[in-house]
Order: sequence, then C-alpha cells, then structure tokens
Amino acid sequence: MLRDEWHVLTGSYALDALGAAEREAFERHLHHCASCDTEVRGLRETAARLAMARALRPPPGMQARVLAATYRTRQLPPLAGDRPTRVRRAGVSRLIAAAAAASVAAAMAFGLTQGLTERQATASRSASTAVSRVLSAPDARTQTMRTTVGGTVILVASRRLREAVISTAGMPSLPAGRVYQLWVIGPAGARSAGLLSGTGQTGGTLASSAGPGDRIGITVEPSPGTSRPTTTPVVVMALPD
Amino acid sequence: MNRAEIRQGGPDPGLYEEEGPDLAGLVALVSRGDHAAYERVYAVLAGPVYGVIRQVLRDHAQSEEVAQEVLLEVWRSASRFDPARGTVAAWALTIAHRRAVDRVRSENACSRREQKTAADTGPDGGGVAEIAEAPLDRVRVRRCLDGLSELQRESITLAYYSGYSYPQVAQLLGVALGTVKTRIRDGLIRMRDCLGVTW
Repeated sequence: MLRDEWHVLTGSYALDALGAAEREAFERHLHHCASCDTEVRGLRETAARLAMARALRPPPGMQARVLAATYRTRQLPPLAGDRPTRVRRAGVSRLIAAAAAASVAAAMAFGLTQGLTERQATASRSASTAVSRVLSAPDARTQTMRTTVGGTVILVASRRLREAVISTAGMPSLPAGRVYQLWVIGPAGARSAGLLSGTGQTGGTLASSAGPGDRIGITVEPSPGTSRPTTTPVVVMALPD
Repeated sequence: MNRAEIRQGGPDPGLYEEEGPDLAGLVALVSRGDHAAYERVYAVLAGPVYGVIRQVLRDHAQSEEVAQEVLLEVWRSASRFDPARGTVAAWALTIAHRRAVDRVRSENACSRREQKTAADTGPDGGGVAEIAEAPLDRVRVRRCLDGLSELQRESITLAYYSGYSYPQVAQLLGVALGTVKTRIRDGLIRMRDCLGVTW
C-alpha cells in the first residue's frame, strides 16, 4: 500500500472502523510513520470527545462492584524499558520471538544496572544511562537474529538517538585470548563499538552514531580487540529505516 | 478558523482542559495501588465509558458488563498509561470503544442491537433520565458535527456511534470505500479543529 493510502486511514483507525487485519497492518505502519502517529493521537482525542458527548449515568451498583473488584485484581507491572519497543516482523512466529526478545533485552539491561557492584556501577553509570535511554526511546525498535556460531543477538535501536543497544543470549564462550567485538558498519567502513564479554553473556552494549543505512556486526577477534575486523562476522544486522 | 483562534476564543471547560482533577497524576497513584485515587478516576470516567459502550452495544446488561471490564482494566493497567501519548480520558475511552466494537463484531450481535435501538434509547443513545450531566460536551460536539458535510457527519457517526467498519459504512451509504475513508479523516480533522483539541 502506498504511503498516502495508509495515511488516509488515520481517521478510520481512530474510530475503530478498521477490520482486525487492517488494524494490525496499520499499527505496524504507524511505527514507521511519525506524522501518522501524531495525527492519530489528535484524532483519538477527538474521538474521545465524541464519547464524552454520550456520557450516561452508570447503572446503580456498578461502582460498588468495580471498586470491590479492584481489591481482588492484581495490577500489571510497568513495562519498564520495553514499553516503546517497536517490533518489526514478517510473521507470527517472528512476532513471538521478537516480543520475547524485547522483554529479554529489557530484563538484561535492567540486570546491567541492578546487578553491578557499586564501583562498577559508578564506572558504567553513563553507559547504562545511555542504554536505558535507548531502551526507553519512543521510537525504539527491536530485532533479533541468530548468529552463525549459535545464540541470539538482540538489537534495540533508536533512529532519533542514532544509538543502538546490542545484547546477546546463548552465544558460546570463547577460548582465552579471543573476544567478541562489535562493529558499526557504514558506507565508510567498519568502526569498533567495543567488546562483548568473552562469556557471550552481556547486559547490553551501546553503539553510538549508528542509524538507518548502518549495520551492526560481531566478529571474533584476538584480545583486546582490533582496529578493523579480521574475521568473517558471526552476525550482521541492518539498523531499521 | 484555525486552532489557535479557537483557543483564544476561550475553550469550554471540560474533562480535557486543565480544570478538574489532575487525572494523569491520579492514574500514577492508581498504578501504585491507591484505591482512593482510583475512586476519583472512576468518578470521572464511569459516565463516558458506560455511555460510549452503551451507544455501540445498546443492550443494558451487556453494556454494563463491558463497562465494568473496561473500568477494571483502568485499575489493572494504570502503569501502562503514558501521559506523553494522550489524555487519560482518551486512553480509557479508546479501550472502551474498542472493547465495545470488538464485542459487536465477534458476536455478530447486529440484529439484537438493532432490535434494542428503537425500544429503549432516546435519540442520543440513552434514556433521558440516564443522560449524565455534561451538557457542554454534548452541545459542543453537536455544534461541531453540524459543521461537517452530511457525508462526513454520517460516516463518522455510523463508524463511531454505531460501531460499523468503514466498508460497512460505505455499503450503508452507497459510496466508494475510498470516499468513506477520506470523508472520515477529513471530517474528524474538522471536528478536532472545531473542538480545539490540541494533541
């Protein structure tokens, strides 16, 4: 569907006048279309006014029943860092995988800020702040990919911040003297974004100045890392447009 | 008239303006389990939530059941409300309207709904005695709806108040799908500007 054809659906979407499949497709489109998203917010507020104009006195007894129900209803926890993540998907299985990965990424980032010693925490405060900032960015989007050596890489990227957070899960440990190194690969070549820890278990590594058109790669390099990649990447992921 | 002029002209007070309780602040308290704050939020939202659901579903018992679900959902998911994305009212009423519409479509309850329409509701969707005291909202919305073209107004009211999908609206009005999509959007944008919605 062309961009304009999507855009004209903002009104129908705000009024819940799309069918289930079209609604879902439109919500995916909203993740890429900031102007549609802004318009939807305004039109949703407008629809709420239409609802206000139909306010009715609720039936007697409803308040008591609802208030009583709140005492036996557990509240949902906040979504922490994964709330604004945007999931790009091609099918249901990828949706499930990506949604799981998004919460994994957030949990890991949370672990990063919660699980450190005080000294480490102080040292990494600015880094973890940056990680949190990416994870909670309104335009944050999540992608996952298997690596050629096993395990999964979870990428959360904010186009606006031009930053990405890379987490890994289940990647094999490397022999002594070898490290996983992270690269931002742009038109001008690859530049290092630091090392992932040798165990393959990292909380989250920040890649700065990385936006649409760039790719993120991970290679195995001799410790303590190299100035340019010397081996075939175990994974390469394109940052979302 | 542009939106700035309308605001200068003095917006009417209502749920959406600065008057009344700070709903977003109350919802933040609700997310921490504050029952007293929830009671205040309930007091503001219950009428519109029940009203819009009843508008779509018509059936008393069903409307009450869905309204209770939605109001409990406000309690349950208070932590998920994001004040950066809109007002509390829009958040709750979006949930309410969507629940009502989903209920209609999943049950294909059209026939039952239509039987109810004539029997127990006034022209505005509620019995006169049940109409909540929000006359300003009603008057303002009515005035702005009157400012739309007939096709815009009919498309919007059939979609929102009757809960029809836009293809159903197109069929009811005997116009092309593309026309309905456009009229709904254009009409709603005019409503937004007429009501001085600033989001």
